[in-house]
Amino acid sequence: MTEKTAKADEQEQVIFHPDFFKIPEDGSKPYLVGLKCRNCGQLWFPKLPICPACWSETLDESPMERVGKLYTYTIMNVPQPGVKAPLAIGYVDFPNGIRVGAQIDVLPDQMKNLRIGMDLQVGAGVIREDKNGKKTISYVFRPLAASKGGK
Amino acid sequence: MRDVYVIGVGMTNYYKKSPLSAADLGRQAVFNAVRDAGIGPKQVQSIYVGEMPGLSGSICFGQRVATTMGMGGVPMMNVESACSSGALAVNLAVKDVANGVTDISMAVGVQNISATRASGTAFSPDANDPEGVQGITMPGIYAMRAKRYMEEFGATPEDIALVAVKNRRHAMNNPRSQFHDPITVEQVVNARSISDPLTLLMSCPNTDAGAAVIVATKEKAMQLGSKPVRFLAREVTSGIFSNGFRDMTSMEITVRGAKEAYEIAGVGPEDIDMVECHDAFAINEHLYTEAMGFCGHGEGVEFIRSGGNDYGGKVVFSPRGGLLSCGHPTGCSGAAQIVEATWQLRNEAGAMQVPDCKVAMTHVTGGGIYGLDNAVCTIHILSR
Ligand SMILES: [Zn+2]
Repeated sequence: MTEKTAKADEQEQVIFHPDFFKIPEDGSKPYLVGLKCRNCGQLWFPKLPICPACWSETLDESPMERVGKLYTYTIMNVPQPGVKAPLAIGYVDFPNGIRVGAQIDVLPDQMKNLRIGMDLQVGAGVIREDKNGKKTISYVFRPLAASKGGK
Repeated sequence: MRDVYVIGVGMTNYYKKSPLSAADLGRQAVFNAVRDAGIGPKQVQSIYVGEMPGLSGSICFGQRVATTMGMGGVPMMNVESACSSGALAVNLAVKDVANGVTDISMAVGVQNISATRASGTAFSPDANDPEGVQGITMPGIYAMRAKRYMEEFGATPEDIALVAVKNRRHAMNNPRSQFHDPITVEQVVNARSISDPLTLLMSCPNTDAGAAVIVATKEKAMQLGSKPVRFLAREVTSGIFSNGFRDMTSMEITVRGAKEAYEIAGVGPEDIDMVECHDAFAINEHLYTEAMGFCGHGEGVEFIRSGGNDYGGKVVFSPRGGLLSCGHPTGCSGAAQIVEATWQLRNEAGAMQVPDCKVAMTHVTGGGIYGLDNAVCTIHILSR
């Protein structure tokens, strides 16, 4: 128990979550990983231990396309503790039929340019920071033009 | 199954900051309900207490409320499903009487938020939730519904504000409400932004309160001479997990729950005189007038502009002032709605009275969990 706590303190950042968000080591762009049920074919995100539709335990990783359409969004001015305001957040619909909710990484003065239906791509970003400065890295959405080269 | 009647209701004020502890809020509500029923405390044969224990940190909270009132020794259960907790407690008390397990049962809903949470913070999904970790809040989720609804159906911020203004006007007649000052559309639209397009005055405030409902068989109700208020339906359902392209302007769990409740009750929207709904945010009455079948999908804009949800319209939504003006004591709200609906059906609602109120519906959802429209939806239909 003590060992485990000590180890967590050493880490300055964690990735949420390596099972469903991949940042390739070869420098190619990060992407989300869906799970396809081998039995019934249903797609899920993020990783689940069993298929909710048929209870199959065999689900295969299915890398998702990196660009989807913004279904809806908001700019939160009263966020959770550990998250800075204003914060844009939205749901993006991907070509495989999966909807994912995440932060939209745009500067406050760019938030007015967000539009329902616009294309957004998956990137990696710091989504929160705790009191001790420990950062959580996860997937975020970014406008295509403002892409920061995939990191 | 046996018919079940309300024989006693009681509640506290809706406090911005309660002078009473959570347990004392519960005790005051129970005291008022037992007195209202005209029974002795030991006649209650089972007790259900709804509270969000994640807030108070208390275990067996119901026992802290009721045993010091001499009501121990009976089955007593603490129930939690976020904002539905108090309504869920009522559902279980009614179920005991309906199934012949008891003749008299009691439900309590209590929340003291001000003692347990910092003000100016937003309720949020669990930190381990894939959307919760991204920083999403409950206002954020409803703001996204509002944004999409405005895009699809042409609603404006002023349309959303109409609901906040109406519910405040209703609250001015409710002596227990947290707010009594009138507000205008302009004030609502220009209030501080919480989560675009929702402003502070389009969002329910944190509130402390307690409410209690005592239910019994028809025989007991007649013996006690209670003004008859009967449950036509008690409906509770849970969310259905989906990762797909859910229509966030159609409240799936409420559409399903309301349909089931109408079927059980043998009534339709045309029979309902008043509704207390989960108006945690002002967009919700657009969403719920549609989900409950008072108008078609997308027709809420016109329905609300023309006052269809107000006195003199098709159905009165939130005659007590709703969560928007009474405030939202989360674990209590579902029980408080049933207390207020009972007063309406007894024709005891004073200046709030809905004329000739025969059938009332109460509705509360709860829980932000990824993949679900809502975690839970609890509906009761009552008639005089
Ligand atoms: Zn399957």
